[in-house]
Amino acid sequence: MIDFLNYVINGFLQGQIYALLALGFMVIYRASKVFNFAQGELMMLGAYAVWTLTIGANIPTWLAIPLAFVCAIVYGWLIERLFFERLVGESVFSMVMVTIGLVILIRGIVMVVWGAADRSFPVLLPPAPFIVGDMIFPSSLVIGAFITLVTTIGMSWFFNRTRAGLTLTAVAEEPNTAISLGISVKRAVTLAWMMGSVIATAGAIVLLSGRSITVQTADIALASLPVALLAGLESIGGLILAGAIVGIVQVLVAAYIDPAIGGSASSIVPFVFMLLILLVRPTGLFGWQHVERV
Amino acid sequence: MDPSGVFFTNYAGDRSLIRTRKQWAFLIAFLVLFVTLPWWASDRWVSIGYTTFITAVAVIGLQICTGYAGQINLGQSAFMGVGAYGAALAMGTGWDALAALVIGGMGAATFGVLFGLTASRIKGFYLALTTIAAQALFHFLVLNLPQSWLGGAGGLHLESTSVFGISLNNDRAIYWFSLAILIAMTMGAFGIVRSRHGRSFEAVRDDDVAAGMMGIPVAATKARAFLVSSFYAGVAGGLWVVALRHVSVEQFTLFNAIWMIAMMIVGGLGSIVGALIGTAMIQLAREGVTSLGPSFVQWVPALGQDFVFAAMNVLLGAVIILFLLFEPKGLMYRIEITKKAFRIWPFPH
Repeated sequence: MIDFLNYVINGFLQGQIYALLALGFMVIYRASKVFNFAQGELMMLGAYAVWTLTIGANIPTWLAIPLAFVCAIVYGWLIERLFFERLVGESVFSMVMVTIGLVILIRGIVMVVWGAADRSFPVLLPPAPFIVGDMIFPSSLVIGAFITLVTTIGMSWFFNRTRAGLTLTAVAEEPNTAISLGISVKRAVTLAWMMGSVIATAGAIVLLSGRSITVQTADIALASLPVALLAGLESIGGLILAGAIVGIVQVLVAAYIDPAIGGSASSIVPFVFMLLILLVRPTGLFGWQHVERV
Repeated sequence: MDPSGVFFTNYAGDRSLIRTRKQWAFLIAFLVLFVTLPWWASDRWVSIGYTTFITAVAVIGLQICTGYAGQINLGQSAFMGVGAYGAALAMGTGWDALAALVIGGMGAATFGVLFGLTASRIKGFYLALTTIAAQALFHFLVLNLPQSWLGGAGGLHLESTSVFGISLNNDRAIYWFSLAILIAMTMGAFGIVRSRHGRSFEAVRDDDVAAGMMGIPVAATKARAFLVSSFYAGVAGGLWVVALRHVSVEQFTLFNAIWMIAMMIVGGLGSIVGALIGTAMIQLAREGVTSLGPSFVQWVPALGQDFVFAAMNVLLGAVIILFLLFEPKGLMYRIEITKKAFRIWPFPH
């Protein structure tokens, strides 16, 4: 029983970290209706920025992490400036295609600047677990989950309650109407990409602390996709629940079913689960139902 | 669009794909060029040739799904993998290569249509994103099914392959075989896109709500697009096995699927010839990178091999994005307007 409880808690915490990665997708989606396939590459870029600042330049952690966020803001701005600014008013389809191009481009840039070798990511979160009674909490996961909760609630508040956040939603829903109402679409999209990059960097710090990074690290972000789709691409608050569900299901399958079949069913459980949920609720748990007009 | 002055007096002429004498001349010239290539070009070109043909088959499939039916498909690489395993299993039990390609194609189509069928409930980006699950499922199935079925992480290995008793164990035979398949698949694609199904693909792409009101079964059409697309991918996967006589899971990654999308963009969305041109361009550019890289390092030894390769990747990524920004309709569109400009020269319109 206590094992089961431990699995559930661990699953919940891990799910929250996936939710943080999924939040990056969602922030950009909410603000520009663009699904950013290069989110994993943004995370990788953030990871390399943190690596360069902490291990490469030997800057103390308390200074390096804010600096990494500043870097994220800069390249988020650059991406918007170079590519998406020209696509204001174009179809969403072509913007999504540009993010696919970004996947190849950013991977290439990372290979040029940092090379293909494995690098060990600094230990930024304390690895030692803390134990309450019979329950074990890995502290890095607890801190990660806490960061997720704070960011998710903050972002949810920002998008649903503040003027700037509602502006972003307006831009995403109807860019042309937004322009005619005097909203700067460019500024909104820039803000979206900056936030997306910063959240990706935060995700990198939480997820990769104490692990190693290569170009392939970027693939991890796609593992968070089931969380985003399960919540519904518009619902930021829903991420907490979706992350918890996916994480707990995955950990339970890893604990009870994997040994029985001798394989890693847990790696695809999130995807299968997501497909089943989407067949019942096509817009995820909390996504918006759109009324379509011709 | 026909050039002015081309008129047909019978229906057969109006229905024909190749409409003028010049088009026939160019087509035959190109075919002769490609068929005779192994006799006058080096072995390297032959192998570049068949890898391009194989990729082109998969990209044509993707073009039908994304370019014509408007469904972003990120599972093409996984579908190709399913076809490759299907064909490898069939050839392993002594089937003819051609039959194995069909089996591989049908296996992939079965897998692909599963994702297409979700279109009855899931729409838009949700649908595109669920195709990523195809990749995860494919990896899982191959690595976790019993070792004796699909060979697990080591993959499957074939001793020999043959078509109609002709052995496909040398590069030239593989080249001609894949060229023949590519020609057949291209003709098939032209047939599909101008049939009723192709028209309904375009209608669904342009506006699926409106298409539904016109009486087109939208979900079935999307499922059909995935079916056709993954069949093409499966055949390409089968050819891949014929060429390499080896299949393993890491040959079919999501990154490959992204490259296929890039080829389609460079060629031009919504054009079969565009898919061919895009594939050829990107494959040649990548081959150029592989062969020019070392000589570039010789000129500027300070840079080192890895750096040059990576820099070339940056260049290719940038080219793809620049295409989207400045030539979103792809090379095919540019070719069309250049052709038109030549026809009406010296008049601007």
